[in-house]
Amino acid sequence: MGVKIGIDVGGTFTDFLVAWGDREPEIFKVLSTPSDPSLGVLDGLHRIAASQQPPQDVNTFIGDVDTIVHGTTVTTNATLTRKGAKSALLTTAGVRDALEMRRGVREEQYNNRYTNVTPLVPRYLRAGVGGRVDRDGRELDALRPDDLADALELFRQEGVESVSICFLNAFANPAHEQQAAAVVRAAMPHVYLTVSTALLPSIRFYDRLSTTALNSYVGPILSRYLDQLTERLRGVGFRGTLLIMQSNGGVMVPEVARDKAALTLLSGPAAGPGAGQVYARAHGRDDCIVVDMGGTSFEASLVSGAPLMVNEGIIDRHRIALPMLGIHTIGAGGGSLGWIDEGGLLRMGPQSAGADPGPACYGRGGTLPTCTDANLVLGYLDPDFFAGGTMALDLERARCAIGQHVAARLGLSIEEAAAGMYRVVCNNMAQGIREVSIKRGFDPREFPLIVAGGAGPIHSCLICEELEMPFQIVPRESSILCAVGMLLGDLIHDFVRTHVCRLEHADWPALERVLDEMTAAGRELLQREGIPEQHRSFQVKFDCRYLKQFHEVSFAVPQAAIAARDAGAIARAFHLEHNRLYGYSLEELRAPVEIINVRVQAIGRTDKPEFSRQPHAGADPAAARRGERPAYLPGARAFRSVPIYDGHRLRHGNEISGPAIIEEATTTIFVSENFDCVTDALGSFALHRKGRADPADGAHGADHDAH
Amino acid sequence: MTPIDPILLSVYARNFKSIADEMSISVQKTTRSPILCEAKDFVTGLYDAGGRMLEQMENLPILAFSLAPVCKYIREFFGDDIHEGDVIFHNDVFSLGNQNNDVAVYKPIFFEGELVAWAAAKGHQADIGGAVAGGYNPNATEVWQEALRIPPVKVVEQGRVRRDVWDLIFANIRLDIVQHDLRAQMGACTVGERRMQALLRKYGRENFEAHKLALFDATRRMMEAEIEAIPNGTYFGEGHVFYDGRHDGSRFTIRVRIQVEDRHITFDYSDTDPQTNGFVNGTFTSSASATMLTFLQMVNPEIPHNDGMLQPIRIIIPEGTLLNASYPKATTFGNHLCPPNADAIIRALADVIPERVTAGWNNLLCSLTTGTDRARDEKYVDIFFMGMKGGSGAMDGTDGYDHIGMIDASGGVLDQDYEMFEQQTPHRLIKHEYLCDSAGPGRWRGGLGTETIYEIGSDDTQLVTFGDGDFEPPFGLRGGHAGTLNRICLTFPDGREVIPRNKDLLTAVPRGTRYHQIAGGGGGYGDPRLRDRDVLAREIRDGIVSPEAARAVYGDAHRN
Repeated sequence: MGVKIGIDVGGTFTDFLVAWGDREPEIFKVLSTPSDPSLGVLDGLHRIAASQQPPQDVNTFIGDVDTIVHGTTVTTNATLTRKGAKSALLTTAGVRDALEMRRGVREEQYNNRYTNVTPLVPRYLRAGVGGRVDRDGRELDALRPDDLADALELFRQEGVESVSICFLNAFANPAHEQQAAAVVRAAMPHVYLTVSTALLPSIRFYDRLSTTALNSYVGPILSRYLDQLTERLRGVGFRGTLLIMQSNGGVMVPEVARDKAALTLLSGPAAGPGAGQVYARAHGRDDCIVVDMGGTSFEASLVSGAPLMVNEGIIDRHRIALPMLGIHTIGAGGGSLGWIDEGGLLRMGPQSAGADPGPACYGRGGTLPTCTDANLVLGYLDPDFFAGGTMALDLERARCAIGQHVAARLGLSIEEAAAGMYRVVCNNMAQGIREVSIKRGFDPREFPLIVAGGAGPIHSCLICEELEMPFQIVPRESSILCAVGMLLGDLIHDFVRTHVCRLEHADWPALERVLDEMTAAGRELLQREGIPEQHRSFQVKFDCRYLKQFHEVSFAVPQAAIAARDAGAIARAFHLEHNRLYGYSLEELRAPVEIINVRVQAIGRTDKPEFSRQPHAGADPAAARRGERPAYLPGARAFRSVPIYDGHRLRHGNEISGPAIIEEATTTIFVSENFDCVTDALGSFALHRKGRADPADGAHGADHDAH
Repeated sequence: MTPIDPILLSVYARNFKSIADEMSISVQKTTRSPILCEAKDFVTGLYDAGGRMLEQMENLPILAFSLAPVCKYIREFFGDDIHEGDVIFHNDVFSLGNQNNDVAVYKPIFFEGELVAWAAAKGHQADIGGAVAGGYNPNATEVWQEALRIPPVKVVEQGRVRRDVWDLIFANIRLDIVQHDLRAQMGACTVGERRMQALLRKYGRENFEAHKLALFDATRRMMEAEIEAIPNGTYFGEGHVFYDGRHDGSRFTIRVRIQVEDRHITFDYSDTDPQTNGFVNGTFTSSASATMLTFLQMVNPEIPHNDGMLQPIRIIIPEGTLLNASYPKATTFGNHLCPPNADAIIRALADVIPERVTAGWNNLLCSLTTGTDRARDEKYVDIFFMGMKGGSGAMDGTDGYDHIGMIDASGGVLDQDYEMFEQQTPHRLIKHEYLCDSAGPGRWRGGLGTETIYEIGSDDTQLVTFGDGDFEPPFGLRGGHAGTLNRICLTFPDGREVIPRNKDLLTAVPRGTRYHQIAGGGGGYGDPRLRDRDVLAREIRDGIVSPEAARAVYGDAHRN
């Protein structure tokens, strides 16, 4: 097995994880290059080659690389900054404004200053085309070629780069969309084209329309970027496989990504949950909650056997109805600003000091108090050992910012104010975890918490106390969790078809035909991606509801139930899931169940790098002890002197009793007085709530797994 | 006494909000009537043991400010006879309910054997008995012609469903889905109960009570600060109601006198016209909700919604007036007196706080169809949400919001998805687009209205209209022009055109009839000749302002 590289392009840094296969994986970070992110990627590859013993040139190094998995946010950024393609829309005559109306929602009801979001396609480029299909797919009026011709003439004159086609009821009969697509391809062969039923053949016009328009908006951007990237990689001699991260946690080849660019829109944090699961498995757990706290945002997700999926999301107030990981993002990070609202309540974020000017303690001109400033005042951060000692922090500026903007306003001491900021931001993050757990019917206390991101492990003990979570794991690669996850992703392709019928009266041959078609399409894609038969698998999901309910519940359907045409077993799976999500089911009332959509997920298993395990080095952590300093203990509400450990020198089996602080180059871990920490076989830090019968359970779990 | 921890205060506020929100998601995802799950015509909330509001998720605010008064009423009504596991239903407009169709579910929350709080969910039911399916009966003169009255009643007693009571209620309601939707509301209250109990386990009863009061105080101070920023004085405004559903040409006036005294504000409706003999009458809580939601749009939207917010505000509506009908008048239209009530408040304050008010909003004109979907062999009920939503009024510095709909919802009510609409009714959508030149011109224009056409697909169609806004357009402010009128017109297959009155009941509307509706645009703000020329050019290009209108109203499109 050759070398594999995970590359995660973030706003500030581009992270690399190099899995050598025959030795410990290595972490690299370079500055991102937002104008052309492929430059940063190449820069990183040069640096990795040069850092080898002996130094290599990049061509030699890249010759050994068989896979690069790449997570990119170019589509996300293009949407957020409104720098997408000049795009046009062909839709059914009479409904061309649906895209802009967004079903008439104003998200902030009491705020009359809140304006609508600029549509992805301006009105004059949204063309209505005559022709109509009814709700059952029967053609009522033929497609009007004159309308099409007029629209395409305008699109050509205007120099549009991409075209979307989305017609009413096309989910029931895509013929008009296909006819229109043929005309567009003939008239504008170079335009980027998205056909709604090719991307998302399911019912709900607005969802399909918005998703289609997003795909066209970012499609040309992603295509150009992938061209640049593949060219640059080829230029240095890369002959392996390039894979692109998707929002569903899987990966895909660039050819697929070009057509379905919208699949990358929320892919930024999508590698995190899968990576988290690997660390949980080291403790014999298949489930976990994964959190990632960076400079400006906090992401939470849940893994229950597999990372939790949702069938829709929102980007910049535009709806995107594609299967994706259910990741909840809130504005809470190291840069989050603390402020007092008009009622005198302390708030944290969502505004952030960002990287520039950054927290007050960075001394780059920031004067407002941030989360990082509070962490410094509370003693969790060492002013002389931030970012591995590469950057000095200014305690006096932090105290000054907190004193002026928080402490004085609340009549508290600076330390009390900092403790308050810490507590409020932890509470915000705990709410973020509730979104992905309690609100979806999961009890967070039953899950280990995987803590990632540079700012995460300072806060996780208090978060765990808030949610009564007894166990947390801070991976050694905490600060680059997504790059790790990229190397663990499978090729995943999602298919959906609307198939409305009562479950008990299902037309099984018709249902099986739809499932077979989707499975065949998945098989063909995996074939193109070079995945051998024995590494392919297919999972079926149904979206069902009680008759006349409006929203569906998506749940996994066992292959056996389909093979046996067992509607009863499928209904039971539905009742169970409905009960879990909403606290009740209508199983006893024998309420009829109806199918709305059927889904197939095609999975191509990829080779995963192995993480090596360290030998047990005994419980005593004394060798890693570096000294002590005063730090704030939230339980005691007072400062106490706590021991400081060098994380790099902690070995498998080393046990630390909280309170303590563990310092790493890219992160700091605060072990509160209510937790104990043990280093596990992967070198991760496992934190257990004190008073458990077997405090070293995590370490044992890891050992069992290793043997 | 428990010391107040200013940080914990923020924690409580955040938790209450999250719980109310979670309850709301639960209702939305599990109900069946599109009025609830699509249009979100419901509110969820938490109240303290005495019925004071802790937090609410106000999807449709016109329901919102009846929940706390009813909670207090229930508390007094049952006295000591409130137990863990009870569930209480209520809709009665003569014991502080806001509208007959809006049925509330209350669940007491106990901690260590004591009543500590309430969880409640109130939603507009697809049917509530009475003479007309769906509840809107323009011919009603008394409450019994409109609805089944539900004064506070325990449907579940200490965890056991009272089958007799349950059956009594649902034997008087036409549609089976109402049972399921109320079960869904009960489920949401259970969600609220569980989370509140978890919160109390963490912090304890005493701590909760102390911080609750401190939170009310903090919120009250926020509201007081907003009111203090309004100059002291007494201000008058009027809003107009056209047609009572019975007497052609009838017209009524809502009159408000707003008194601002330092940190307090009073809305006094004593001079409003007397109640009508039809169903165009308000109830105290629906009218007070209208006052609150209009005023809340003029203050900091970040103020938490709890009892403290209400404390500096006084609302006087004498019984027997159009906004507070006396027993046993019909009142189903009462929620829809919100737009003219809002007009009155905005007109009163337009010159006092010109930077905080909008011009007039499009008023509601809505229709409800029922009948049989023959191809599916099913009965359907549909409120045609997508057709009724016009534009909001502009304000200084901000254009109105396009296709937002009535001020009572302010964008909280969603259009049906077109394809779902065609699945769930036999109708076929032909057009739903912004209407060119519908926005009231101004330096800041009103929100755009829409034009909607669909073809009726059932033979036994019953069509009820309810609303207004077809006589008086939304007003402009400071040189801004008025918006445009609402209109509904039916073209029968034989070519005959019928324009229903704004509160009307049509039966046996045949298949193939074309339903045509215009929802007007909102009023403009400021002189249209001062409108930004680049924006105007873009709007002409986009076809939402015609070149003719641009010349006539905005002046030369190219001058800058």
